Amino acid sequence: MTIAPRSGHGALLRAAAIAVGVAFAAAPLAAQAQTMGGDFVLAQSANPPSLDAMTSSSESARNINMNIYESLVTIDENVTPIPMLAERIETSEDGLSYVFPLRQGVKFHNGDEMMASDVKASLERYREVGATRGMLDKVKEIEITGDYEVTFHMSEPTPTFIEGFASPRAPAVIIPEEEAAKPANEIEFIGTGPYKFVEFVPDSHVTLARFDEYSARQDHDGPTGFGGKKTPYVDTATYRIIPEAGARIAALEAGEVQWADQIPVPAAKRMMDDPELTVFEARQWAFLTLIMNWQLPPTDNVDFRRAVLHAIDREEVMAIATEGFYDLNHGWQYPGRTYFAGDIGADIYEAPDLEKAREYLDRSGYDGQEFLILTDPNYGEHSRAAVVIADQVSDIGINAVVKQLDWATVLKIRLTDEGWNGWTLMQGLEPFLGPYGIAAKMTGDQPHQRATHPEIDQAYDDLITGATVEERQAAFAELQSLIYDLVPQIKIGDVGRMQAGSASLKGFKPFRAPRVHDIWFE
Amino acid sequence: MASNDVDSVPGTFAPALRELGMQLRKLGAHRSIQIGGILFGAIVLVAIFADLIAPFDPNENNYRAMLAAPGDAHLLGTDAFGRDILSRVIHGTRLSLVVGIIVVIATGVLGTIIGVLTGYVRWLDSPLMRVMDGLMAFPGVLLAIALAAALGPSVVNAAIALTITFMPRTARIVRGSVLVVREMPYVEAARACGAHDRRIVLRHILPNAMPPLIVQLTFVFSVAILAEAVLSFMGVGPPPPTPSLGNIIAEGRSYIREAPWIALAPGVAIAISVLGLNIIGDGLRDSLDPRLRNL
Amino acid sequence: MRSVIVPRVLSAIPVLFVVSVVTFLLMWLVPGDVASQIAGPDASAAELAAIRERLGLDRSIFEQALIWYGNLFKGDLGQSYVLNRSVVDAVIERLPVTLSLTFLALVLAIVFGFVLGVVAAANHNSWIDQLTMTGALIGLSLPDFWFGLVLIFFFAVELGWFPTGGYVPLAEDPIGWLNAMTLPAMTLALTQMGVIARMVRSSMLEQLGQDYVRTARAKGMPGHVVLFKHALRNALIPVVTLIGIMTGLLLGGAVVIEVVYSLPGVGRLIIGAIQNRDYPIVQGGLLLTAAIFVFVNIAVDILYTFIDPRVRHGKQ
Repeated sequence: MTIAPRSGHGALLRAAAIAVGVAFAAAPLAAQAQTMGGDFVLAQSANPPSLDAMTSSSESARNINMNIYESLVTIDENVTPIPMLAERIETSEDGLSYVFPLRQGVKFHNGDEMMASDVKASLERYREVGATRGMLDKVKEIEITGDYEVTFHMSEPTPTFIEGFASPRAPAVIIPEEEAAKPANEIEFIGTGPYKFVEFVPDSHVTLARFDEYSARQDHDGPTGFGGKKTPYVDTATYRIIPEAGARIAALEAGEVQWADQIPVPAAKRMMDDPELTVFEARQWAFLTLIMNWQLPPTDNVDFRRAVLHAIDREEVMAIATEGFYDLNHGWQYPGRTYFAGDIGADIYEAPDLEKAREYLDRSGYDGQEFLILTDPNYGEHSRAAVVIADQVSDIGINAVVKQLDWATVLKIRLTDEGWNGWTLMQGLEPFLGPYGIAAKMTGDQPHQRATHPEIDQAYDDLITGATVEERQAAFAELQSLIYDLVPQIKIGDVGRMQAGSASLKGFKPFRAPRVHDIWFE
Repeated sequence: MASNDVDSVPGTFAPALRELGMQLRKLGAHRSIQIGGILFGAIVLVAIFADLIAPFDPNENNYRAMLAAPGDAHLLGTDAFGRDILSRVIHGTRLSLVVGIIVVIATGVLGTIIGVLTGYVRWLDSPLMRVMDGLMAFPGVLLAIALAAALGPSVVNAAIALTITFMPRTARIVRGSVLVVREMPYVEAARACGAHDRRIVLRHILPNAMPPLIVQLTFVFSVAILAEAVLSFMGVGPPPPTPSLGNIIAEGRSYIREAPWIALAPGVAIAISVLGLNIIGDGLRDSLDPRLRNL
Repeated sequence: MRSVIVPRVLSAIPVLFVVSVVTFLLMWLVPGDVASQIAGPDASAAELAAIRERLGLDRSIFEQALIWYGNLFKGDLGQSYVLNRSVVDAVIERLPVTLSLTFLALVLAIVFGFVLGVVAAANHNSWIDQLTMTGALIGLSLPDFWFGLVLIFFFAVELGWFPTGGYVPLAEDPIGWLNAMTLPAMTLALTQMGVIARMVRSSMLEQLGQDYVRTARAKGMPGHVVLFKHALRNALIPVVTLIGIMTGLLLGGAVVIEVVYSLPGVGRLIIGAIQNRDYPIVQGGLLLTAAIFVFVNIAVDILYTFIDPRVRHGKQ
């Protein structure tokens, strides 16, 4: 690695900095005495679209749902799959069946015990309404092989199946059989998690209460990722919906909430000096990317895309877009992760090369058409990045126009070939979960770039079918060099996320969703 | 107003012009109009000469000067992009006025046409006014936001949304004047003399509907500036990086503790523009339309 | 009495019909769709199609309109696409927030507007008059959402007297409710306070110039009695008529205030629904809000008929 990921601001690299995905001790320190009770109020920016966990892959829903529901398999702190409601995972030699013995005595919030029939019904429902139901495509049949056991029969061996199945994106949670018979978004919100649903007032709050009959796994010392041994301490957890960052901060400082998400960096810096508050830095929260539309001129031309690739000064974009909390990283995986592909593309990423950019622009025969950068105001990073990128590429004579529309419209337009050339997008879960999500967005029916390329398709196939880690790493390295050559997307950098809590909040560690169990107040 | 000389030859504008000049002089002497004129005039000058006055390019990013406090380099500080707030407020003021002017013209023209049609053409009155009542029954901001979301964010679309929102009330005021004038003896006389509808409307009805319309449009101007700021604040105004007074405030909202100067200056700029227009409007109402003084 | 009320109430029907048609056209114009919003940025085309079919969005606009109007006659405004409840429930849930905000703002605007107006009129042409009227003019020229931010900055962040936002139901905690609503109501009241102050002043001045006031004065009635007993009472009438319009303006203005203070009111419900393309909420919400506005105005009109003797006698 010649380019070491650099951090934006030294001051932010404090001892408190916690990188998501970097291993740390899962168990709370024995010296700290946990106290039961208390009301935990969290502030997050958006309404959950649904508390029917299977149907929504949005972060605002996941933040809540991961405390209400659990799945057979989940991820630990290092994003490695671990059994949760399953006692363990037994894989057959030929890779054609998976046996999941279930933990016994696990209670749903309605008091019923979780049985194999609930699991089968839930997963059959997931095949119907699950937002990422594709992950069960290779499952031919789900068979109840005991009161406390289900067996998956696969249509073909899929080495990466469990990794997909453990994804918390839109988790394949287990709900009671009678709820599983209901259509999407019409269920009672009943799970097996450490907190149970109390009420949801849209645009105001969601309240959860401790589930006293929660049965924790005993084979861990404490929580890890979305699994392990979870212990609920606080009586209630209330998620207040406060879209405006300033209002979230004010609520935190006034003591109305004990934890707030998405703190603007300038405010976080100020809070670091406040003894009443703790700032949680989650580095490597998301990739900031610029996605290219291969169907609409001028970005249908590969040389034009290369011109843009060389014209962007990533450091400036990142500094402004993230308000100074970022890491520069050319890779399409986080450094230190299994599939990080080394130096590929680092020379291009390092610094803009306007001469080369102009050369490519000439070669593309560009004649001053609009380069439409699609973005939305809902995520400040998106629109700020779009504005700075537009400014930079205009320096080499590209007629860049920022097209800011609201999120719903953006999500619709980017599924068409018209109306956009570039799209600024933070990809959070894809890189977090490993190489597959990132790669899948460049191939298949709906590639982000609106067109497929045989070499990219091949690299993706090699990635998902590779029998060994080494083969898959090689496939991902190949993909990364293709990305820097064909430019389906441009990597801008790694975005951090600032969260803050009151100093009396103990045991909290940032993860993909805030965990309200295993935290307590002093 | 003085247009009851039914026999005056069309095309002789001299007397009309002379009268207009006198009116303007009379208005110019009004104290409210003077004060408001100075306030609003200053804003208009800033908007016209924005390019000359603004010390920086309003869209120039500088990540080495993000959220800089007001000082020598940046008189009103910088925003999260390191852009100069003063320059952005100056250009944002220009945009506010442009939107305001478009809305005033569009509202004036459409409001007059619909007001005259409903007031003068009896069979059109009821259906058109029901539509106007329907539009007026919407909470104005919500209607404008929904329209702006539907049309997409741009300066022109914001102006269209605001025009649709404000036009019904203007039409109603014009209609009110038309209904009064329609029954006046001199209009009856003109009709008896065989004057065409078009001539009656243009020569007699419109001039009389003008004073309340002008007063109303002054207020439409000021409300349009406020409403444009609201639309931009809510994220449905002109797209970035275009500075608008509302979107500067919206951006500053996240930094109200760390950089209160971002949100402060554009709010003051809006207040001065609107205050100036309101004072002018008061003065115009006093001198043009004494009947309206109590409203 | 019935002859006054019935036609007035019936006149609301065409207005509300226009409102419903306009909201329908709006939704038809709005790009983007709820399906991609529900499914998120990584949904497949098939998933989106399935969601659209489930919500009936694959039908033509005319079919959708027919179904909607059909249900409307049954008193059913439909189900929200994303909120997991009916439109009526969703709106009713939010109504207390918006109504308390509007009501408190109306009370504040009327009380302070009256006091300022009367003080100014009683001290006509003095510096007090000038000061109050300049204040009123500035009040109605300030952008209210910006003024709200300034209030939050001083009274919530710096001084910590009030919460920065959020709603506390009146039934749960009346003091908390008042505390939470103070800044929002003050912000919302600002503009209308200025309007009322100016109107009360000029209305009073007009009354004070009338013959009966001069007579009362000439008969030796003390100045404050003249002011309050005669002038103020008569000055009330034009103000009462404006309350209907003002309620509408406040209901509209409440939208932005709800956003500034993170209040879960009807305005934010509708804005969120516009952003999410949750059409039933937008249509139903706008229709219900417009209906409230229309009926408040009708109520004021009818009330006015019985308050103002001139109108009453004119009708008979």
